[in-house]
Amino acid sequence: MASSKLTRFEKARIIGARALQLSMGATPLVDIPKSLDPIDIATLELKKKVIPLDIRK
Amino acid sequence: MQETIEKVTKVVKKKRAKFPESYIHDIALAAERHDLDDDELDELVRRVKRAYERAKVEKGEAVGTVAAQSVGEPGTQMTMRTFHYAGVAELNVTLGLPRLIEIVDARKKISTPTMAIYFEDEFKNDEEFVRTIANKIGKSNVNDILQDFHVNFAEMNVVAELDETKIKDKRLDFTDIINRVEKTFKKAQIDNNILSFVPSKSNIRELRLLADKVRDLQISGVKNIGKVVIRKEEDEWVIHTEGSNLGAVLKMEGVDKVRTTTNDIHEVEKVLGIEAARNAIIHEAQRTMDEQGLTVDVRHIMLVADMMTADGSVKSIGRHGISGEKASVLARASFEETGKHLLRASIRGEIDHLTGIIENIIIGQPIPLGTGSVGVVMKHK
Repeated sequence: MASSKLTRFEKARIIGARALQLSMGATPLVDIPKSLDPIDIATLELKKKVIPLDIRK
Repeated sequence: MQETIEKVTKVVKKKRAKFPESYIHDIALAAERHDLDDDELDELVRRVKRAYERAKVEKGEAVGTVAAQSVGEPGTQMTMRTFHYAGVAELNVTLGLPRLIEIVDARKKISTPTMAIYFEDEFKNDEEFVRTIANKIGKSNVNDILQDFHVNFAEMNVVAELDETKIKDKRLDFTDIINRVEKTFKKAQIDNNILSFVPSKSNIRELRLLADKVRDLQISGVKNIGKVVIRKEEDEWVIHTEGSNLGAVLKMEGVDKVRTTTNDIHEVEKVLGIEAARNAIIHEAQRTMDEQGLTVDVRHIMLVADMMTADGSVKSIGRHGISGEKASVLARASFEETGKHLLRASIRGEIDHLTGIIENIIIGQPIPLGTGSVGVVMKHK
């Protein structure tokens, strides 16, 4: 099944990995919202599908 | 109805949903009952599809743990008591916790094997036919058809008088019985329904042994089957047996080969194959839970049954089955007989690839489950 929908585990893993990058100084790929929390930023990035990370099967 | 089913199949295909057959059937039923038009049917299929997809487990989910808990918790509430089977007179069937343990242990010899024998449409209301079959299956010996029996110490012989009405009652064949008697006791004298036997050595001990032997001679019945009970269930006659021999019973004429079952899972495997054994495990486990008033989602039981039958033969859950045959040394060692497994593995030079849950917990790594089962790589551009 080539479903492009991420499972909740995949979402959590990607947001986690991206938030870590952001917290260590990576440049956000979205306009920063009110919150500066890296997890919030990562979540927004995921929503806009701009996170440069892939799931390895 | 057929038309509606086809229509629903078409709509389902258009929506690119993959439903089991029963779903399509149910949707068609509902469509007919409420007289749905095309748009409404579309909407129905769409919603069913959404609900169906939502009900699926995501990959990475700990289904095994959930299944273990879902079967285990109601198991703690089961009474240890085994009681007599309500409804069928005198037939005793193991139920409750002991039966559940028996199923997951995949015992070769279960404590109360029984069969339910159904008949094909043309015979299922024919009481006479069913009784004949029942007597052919059920065990009877000479003792059951005696009118008179005595041991004559003066003439040193055993005289048995057969009761013809009893024979008729049991729907047995007189010549068959005589043949059996003659085959076993070469020196028997037969005068119509009076049989007399002389012991090989003329002493009282031998005479008494002979008397027992004559009475216990089996004159009809299928191997491994003891008592039979005939019962009217709804609109048909059904035979319940004590003991089980699926192979022999299925060969009999008039027996419904589809519905006739046994509760002996190994016998099902031997006669009908591994898929049937899987179904038998599911059915037996669920029936045992139901009988105690406990409901467990089938999918948990199905997972257990799948694990037990996945590699082609029925395996138990535990040391001698699934847990004992795991690929990883550490996983086996953490279950039972730690020293034995570690020693053997070191002698053979086994390699543990650390792909399972237990291994990774032991060495203190994130486990490959849920979030841990997902790998992340940078997109290369």
